[in-house]
Amino acid sequence: MPLYEVLLQQFANGLILGSFYALVALGYSMVYGVIKLLNFAHGDLYMTGAFAGFGALSLFSGWLGGGWGGIVPAILFSMVAVGALGVIIDRVAYRPLRQAPKLSVLITALAVSMLLENVALAFTGGQYTAFTTNLGFAGVDLGMVHVTYTQMVLVGASVVLMVVLELFVSGTMHGKAMRAIAIDQDACRLMGIDVDRTIALTFLIGSALAAAAGVLAGVYYGSINFFMGFLIGLKAFTAAVIGGIGSIPGAMLGGILLGLLEAFGTQIPGVGSEWKDVFVFAFLILFLVFRPTGLLGRPEVERM
Amino acid sequence: MKRRTILAIAGLFAFGLGGAGPAHAADIKIGAQVPTSGSEAPYGIDMLNAIRMAADQINAKGGLLGEKISILPGDSACDPQAAVNAASKLVSENITGVVGGYCSGATLPTLKVYGDAHVPFVITASNSTELIGANPGNAFMINSTGFDQVKTAVALFKAKGIKTLSIINEGDAYSANLAQLTRKAWEKMGNKVVDYEVVSKGQQDFSPVVTRIRERHPDAVFWTAYYADGALLIKQLRQGGYTGMIALGDGNNSPKLFQLAGAAAEGVYCFSNPTANFLPAAKTFIADYQKQFHQPPGPYSALSYDGMMLMAHAIKVAGSTDKMKIIAALKATHAFPGIAGPISFTKENTLARSNFVVLLGKGGQWTLYTGPGAPAAP
Repeated sequence: MPLYEVLLQQFANGLILGSFYALVALGYSMVYGVIKLLNFAHGDLYMTGAFAGFGALSLFSGWLGGGWGGIVPAILFSMVAVGALGVIIDRVAYRPLRQAPKLSVLITALAVSMLLENVALAFTGGQYTAFTTNLGFAGVDLGMVHVTYTQMVLVGASVVLMVVLELFVSGTMHGKAMRAIAIDQDACRLMGIDVDRTIALTFLIGSALAAAAGVLAGVYYGSINFFMGFLIGLKAFTAAVIGGIGSIPGAMLGGILLGLLEAFGTQIPGVGSEWKDVFVFAFLILFLVFRPTGLLGRPEVERM
Repeated sequence: MKRRTILAIAGLFAFGLGGAGPAHAADIKIGAQVPTSGSEAPYGIDMLNAIRMAADQINAKGGLLGEKISILPGDSACDPQAAVNAASKLVSENITGVVGGYCSGATLPTLKVYGDAHVPFVITASNSTELIGANPGNAFMINSTGFDQVKTAVALFKAKGIKTLSIINEGDAYSANLAQLTRKAWEKMGNKVVDYEVVSKGQQDFSPVVTRIRERHPDAVFWTAYYADGALLIKQLRQGGYTGMIALGDGNNSPKLFQLAGAAAEGVYCFSNPTANFLPAAKTFIADYQKQFHQPPGPYSALSYDGMMLMAHAIKVAGSTDKMKIIAALKATHAFPGIAGPISFTKENTLARSNFVVLLGKGGQWTLYTGPGAPAAP
């Protein structure tokens, strides 16, 4: 393979990887933006979404087939189910702690993460589940660069979801309420905004996006397991911080950037891929030293 | 109410004692150190079953030195600390010998516990090369070590006309060790490792590595970690257009690999210790095991069965339960006929031959490969 084709293929690889990170990072960023909570359970919602989608696809594929005709309803089902789960988690675990110290909520989020992971572990017995669909490897070839239609649909679907979300947050009353709560919860209450309902809506949307990413990952990689949310949770969090946590376009950019960094990191001449993460995270440290608010984050004034 | 509770507890206690069946004082007690809890429990229970089956068969034929064998399980939980506790407990119960050992990390610290008490130990699964140096002399490994796997691997590569190799591991002690040993052996033979990759455990996307492999186009790719991530790598390699040979380390001998990788696993090679279904001598063993436990034997069942039989043989040769005599008898073992092949030991108490086999993915399952480069049958 000539070098330019290698680089082009790595660019495609990074874009696909990055769109998964971006979808998960969005939920992280939204929740943080609105209630300043690092929702560690977010990666596990991605995992739960993958399993919900798998269950739905097993049911639907009987009469809708294992192609996109079955996958799309499975994604929608998983988004609704996991969106509801996100709302329940907020209602049960986070809302009672709204006035509590931030650290207590953070630990609660960790506990929710452990809970989801171990429930999935108990159900699956730690086994990896094969997520079989009948999507082929057909696609477009540019020289030796190969991009499958599935990959294009994946990237396309993430872009559509992100654009819809951005329009929702910037253009609707609900979105306006979310942005207002991010600035001052108490003032919002005085203005007659139903703060708890808006926060629940944030969890609904964030969790549904994570679920969509989970099902897409299951479809794409063909294997799901109880621990799959852990690594991507960390990566998505990183992406959200790179992009400027709290910013929706920032989360998208951060996700794509991290995906590209990882893909090109493998390609650094003279060293093996064991050094890949060293470079990626060294870059992250440097980047944050010079731009602590991330790509699109606004400098924040800490309220006392 | 209170009285009834006490009675119930007393009843449970009596039942518990009765159920456990304390070993008869004159029995020959053999410890079975295997994980019976935690993530590795399924494998441990497969081993324990096989050890019990061997003991039952000996007892049914009149026992050993006129005594019955009783098996005392010690749960190592695949954890060094739990394993040491289990080993200390077994030693305090005055066992004559111990059979088992799964998870090299957990087996390693128990070597000293048994060594200090001069208890003979037949290790039936653990095979890290680190165990060799740490052996005080009372332990005997009847499973081939990582060195033998490397020899099997490079022999196959050579026979297949492979010139350039890509080695991928996950950076953990097991897969990194196998990868480094293979790289060293391969380069010593004057060949080239064009690509040496380390990926993260649980990383689902291997596409950057796949692109790099296509750029370097090695003749073969050798994956040294486990099947769950391996399945994804195989699939992505084939999807990405890599058409060369793919070989996998012994952590990949699982039927699950075919469910996860699908058609991509066809024609893939795997190095493995002999599992019962590939052993011609194990036919009756499989049938007996199936009859007694209503499931097929696990990957280390055959070796564990051999381990117990070997221990019994050594006690018989020693003619007493004197531990030093048993150790001497084990040391002198020559061509003991195990179902997994004959057992003799090297000076370092490791198996004198390689028991590794090469498997080939065919028709959605592992089959025994017997073409060029396959190790000779025992």
